[in-house]
Amino acid sequence: MSTSRDAILTRLRDNRPDPKAHPLPPVARLGDMDNGQARFENSLQILGGQVLERQEGDTLATAIARRFPDSKVICSAVPDFEGTIRIEELGTPQQAASVDVLVVRSPFGIAEMGSIYLSEAQLQDLNSAAHLTQHIVVILSAKNLTANMHTAYMDRPEFHTANYGVLMSGPSATADIQGVLIRGAQGVRTLSVWWED
Amino acid sequence: MKVKPVNHAKAAEAFIEDTAHMDFHDERLWDLRQKRDGQMHILPEWQELRARASAIKEHTLANLPEYLEQFEANAKKNGIHVHWAADGAEHNRIVGEILEKHGAKSLIKSKSMVTEECCMREYLEPRGVVVTETDLGERIQQLDNQMPSHIVVPAVHKLIPDVAKIFAEHYHTDPNDNSAQSLAWQQRLAARPVILSADAGMTGGNFVVAETGSFVVCTNEGNADLSATVPGLHIATIGIERLVPRMADMGVFIRLLSRSALGSPITQYTTHFRGPQKGSEMHVVLVDNGRSHRLGMEDFWTSLKCIRCGACMNTCPVYRRSGGLSYGAVYSGPIGAIIDPTFNERKYSTLPFASTMNGSCTNVCPVKINIHEQLYKWRRVLAEHHELPFVKREVMHMAGKLMGQPTLYRAAINGTEVALSTMPRFVLYNWLNPWGKHRELPHPVKQTFHSWYKQNRLKTKKKEGESA
Ligand code: SF4
Repeated sequence: MSTSRDAILTRLRDNRPDPKAHPLPPVARLGDMDNGQARFENSLQILGGQVLERQEGDTLATAIARRFPDSKVICSAVPDFEGTIRIEELGTPQQAASVDVLVVRSPFGIAEMGSIYLSEAQLQDLNSAAHLTQHIVVILSAKNLTANMHTAYMDRPEFHTANYGVLMSGPSATADIQGVLIRGAQGVRTLSVWWED
Repeated sequence: MKVKPVNHAKAAEAFIEDTAHMDFHDERLWDLRQKRDGQMHILPEWQELRARASAIKEHTLANLPEYLEQFEANAKKNGIHVHWAADGAEHNRIVGEILEKHGAKSLIKSKSMVTEECCMREYLEPRGVVVTETDLGERIQQLDNQMPSHIVVPAVHKLIPDVAKIFAEHYHTDPNDNSAQSLAWQQRLAARPVILSADAGMTGGNFVVAETGSFVVCTNEGNADLSATVPGLHIATIGIERLVPRMADMGVFIRLLSRSALGSPITQYTTHFRGPQKGSEMHVVLVDNGRSHRLGMEDFWTSLKCIRCGACMNTCPVYRRSGGLSYGAVYSGPIGAIIDPTFNERKYSTLPFASTMNGSCTNVCPVKINIHEQLYKWRRVLAEHHELPFVKREVMHMAGKLMGQPTLYRAAINGTEVALSTMPRFVLYNWLNPWGKHRELPHPVKQTFHSWYKQNRLKTKKKEGESA
């Protein structure tokens, strides 16, 4: 029981403007409905993310080896890629902090923003791994792109089911020191998307 | 004992005299404003988004008790502990008790204006809890023992050498480091071990969704997600006005927030917390601290729609040229000037005068708060409730200093001697206007001001021309 709770609610009831004068507008589905790969890639690049280069004959492993030649700990959160360690083997955030590259699959991306979505389902309940790793490689299918923020929130069930759900739009960034934009602040230093189709 | 009103003009004067800092501050914030405009022009539906955002927020505020109850019920179902704090003292006590129960001695936190409102660090630290701000700008301010000077970019008034000096003192780095890149790297290196060994993490919350019992946190550095996911205990401190009814409403707000704030399409991280992580505990503290009272103020309740984007600050000529610290309050700029007096009417009685009334704040506000009209209404209220001599002096002083134009200053004083007899009309009158009407308004400006403007703004203009 909280007396403050009741006091606050009572005060709000006494003070609020007339609810009848402020109806709830219907849900908005506005804006550009293009959910194409080109739009996604353009948005991704604006936010500082990149597409992992796929050369003739590349597998994800060879593409990662070329892009991150110095990385020692490559952690996989997907069944179809090996890496040097599996995410399930990292018991704690402290262990996750040693990861150089985390490979994870995203259930959907948002073309308007170049955002990819991750939840505890993809991160095997070790959510901090997505932020403690130095670099992240996100496997994404162009079939799973939604057009914009309205379609994402209206159509994707994850926002109603996941306990932890993050939209990552490029790598971490800051401009807190004299306005200089720095990509790679306190979370991942780079974010790369690997198209799986 | 009576509290002294904040002497904004005097503080602003000191800031203005430091030309290097003021020029950078002015240009940096104007640059954010222009980037915001760029984003606005890309979206034909911009005005519709603003209208929707405003309507959703007004509806939510008018139905706030029901939505809070709905949120609470859903959040509890999801396994979140929900607490209610009538004021800052109660908030701090609740947080202190949660930490004590867990034996938590170190707390890492991301940026939260509400914890600033509550002076939480000042409460926890004497009780043996080490509180570490993990947002870069906020950390710089914490180390420098200052309040955030801007709600989005807390250390925007500092230059690289200032940060180098602060880091040298606390992180033992090179005091002559002149690279923002390397200073930011030092912050990452310093923060990591603190994050990895912290007992508890704290975040704010930009939006609270009643329908799902979730809250949404929008950040760029990754520090909020680290603070929330690394320790096994996550406390979120959130103002009760942050509700939206439905998850589907988030589309409108996410599309507006970062575009208005920084001119970027979205923050790097948009994180949805709906319940604790496996093996962890999650608490939400809903903070009133004057908000339920503000809801009853007929002329001012819509200020509760604010989503804290900072656009009104970036566009405000007075804010840009006086710096956030000069407001002497947790919230500065135009939004600060209309909400600070609700916390302490006398102490913040001078702030509604820190405006040229050019209306630019209202034009950029993504939730359509009539900020400049509320400034005007506050002037009336304050002129009725408080001693006019102080207010009068304040406004005079500000005009003279900020316009940087002695002739105009004298003219202003002369002009107002007459008008003073008709107080409060004078305070509502806008002889400060010429100063504000530089780039924002199409109207012709007075010659005296024009020459001042040409002289002072040439540098910026050239830059704009180059990038065009
Ligand atoms: S008042 Fe409007 S423009 Fe200012 S911070 Fe709040 S939402 Fe942004």
